Amino acid sequence: MILDSTPITLLMLLFGISAFIIILLLPALLELKRPRDAGPRIIMEDVIVTQGFQARGITLIASIEQEKLGSDQTVVRKIADIIAVLPNLEA
Amino acid sequence: MIAYLVRHYVFTMTVLKSAQRRKSAITVVNTTYKPIVSILIPARNEEKVIARTLKRMTELTYPKDKLQIIIIDDVSTDNTGKIAEQYLKTYNNIKIVHRNELEGGRGKASALNAGFKHAKGEIILCFDADYYPQKDIIEKLVKEFDDPKVGAVQGRVTVLNEPQNIVTRLVALERTGGYCIDQQARNSLGLITQFGGTVGGFRRELWESLGGWDESILAEDTDLTFRVYLAGYRVRYVNDAECYEEAVESWRAYWKQRYRWAKGHMQCFFKHWLKVLRSSNLSFREKIDGLLLLTVYFVPVFVLFSWILGVPLFFLHPQHWIGVFWIFVPVSLYSFVGNFAPFFEVGVGAHLDGRTRAQWLIPLLVLTFLYSIPICTKALADLLIAKISGKNDNYWERTFHSGNGNCYIMS
Repeated sequence: MILDSTPITLLMLLFGISAFIIILLLPALLELKRPRDAGPRIIMEDVIVTQGFQARGITLIASIEQEKLGSDQTVVRKIADIIAVLPNLEA
Repeated sequence: MIAYLVRHYVFTMTVLKSAQRRKSAITVVNTTYKPIVSILIPARNEEKVIARTLKRMTELTYPKDKLQIIIIDDVSTDNTGKIAEQYLKTYNNIKIVHRNELEGGRGKASALNAGFKHAKGEIILCFDADYYPQKDIIEKLVKEFDDPKVGAVQGRVTVLNEPQNIVTRLVALERTGGYCIDQQARNSLGLITQFGGTVGGFRRELWESLGGWDESILAEDTDLTFRVYLAGYRVRYVNDAECYEEAVESWRAYWKQRYRWAKGHMQCFFKHWLKVLRSSNLSFREKIDGLLLLTVYFVPVFVLFSWILGVPLFFLHPQHWIGVFWIFVPVSLYSFVGNFAPFFEVGVGAHLDGRTRAQWLIPLLVLTFLYSIPICTKALADLLIAKISGKNDNYWERTFHSGNGNCYIMS
């Protein structure tokens, strides 16, 4: 069984498992470090969202009016994505 | 383990298949059915969030003459009562029930029972003090009661302070899987849909016939769910009736909340499992699902037991028949993450919500699964000790709300 293996085999197994875990967790760590979709999920039409842009000196006020836009909350998300890649002009 | 594996995969596939149909579905609402509704909001030291919630209650689109809002100020030592009093002056459909130290501070079920005495509505809805619902949520929930078989309804909960930290983000993912997939599937398949104690409600006459909330149970919502089903009624889940909540923000708070859920759920198991098996009001599928629901918090304890038994066997290699039980180790390692089925639920739920990037956090749910093992083990140990010693320690540890979610709402 595993315990009967040579030390090199055990080391390689340990290295392989560690590498697997790191690769598995890499996307999660990236999203935590640089969140692109930190939420919250928008669930209502009348809420004005200032979604985490205050730290970058950008105040985004997006009012969703479902009847006028004729779309769902993904519209604000798209706007937010565009704003997110703009440079911080106040920096 | 296999039962939960199959259950979760069936749930996930059910919702996936129905998702496409739902996009083009038109909801028919009986606009003539507008019963009087009473909303109960139990609050204890919620000064950081109660104002936001009460303001929202005044913005609900349900006819004001048919809506009663009752705030139960449960021995608050902060400004919760004073904040609520401000709204009392302006809105005549708001009522406040102040509880003193002699009668209050004994948990949510006790507070709700106290509030119910003042309720006039035909339908009783409950919202926690940190909740922020859609404006038309009352209409969405109440319309289900047009069906006489429906005894209770449950809406969807979404985390408001999701961006706060890793804990809130993981809780948000759990909510996605739990509501968008799990509840939705159980509703579609005619299984046991759970009333979650908030963003939902029940018929007044049913509640009275059941004798109100059981104050000896920490999970009063699960208890009510099973009592509703055992009485021959059903709980309906309404996915588009959504409400924001403030999730726990630390691992310590997560422990306290899940400990209460686990212990309460286990109390419900001991109270209801035999009734569920014997009930003539439940179908065979409902009985199976009901038992799986009642035992879900025992699974982490079983995983721990498997490790304790399997690891020594794995290394000792005993020669006789017990040696085969080393297989507990790999099986329980696979199972401690719920056979990966909850990951599918969360992943598909996030996909249906259009949250592709949030799916990247799914591997981190392993942390919550690991954390649930000592939580559930302690809950079971405390429960068994209480049963043996005869001392019922049902201390209700309320979840602290910081109001950090307020910045995401400006209306």
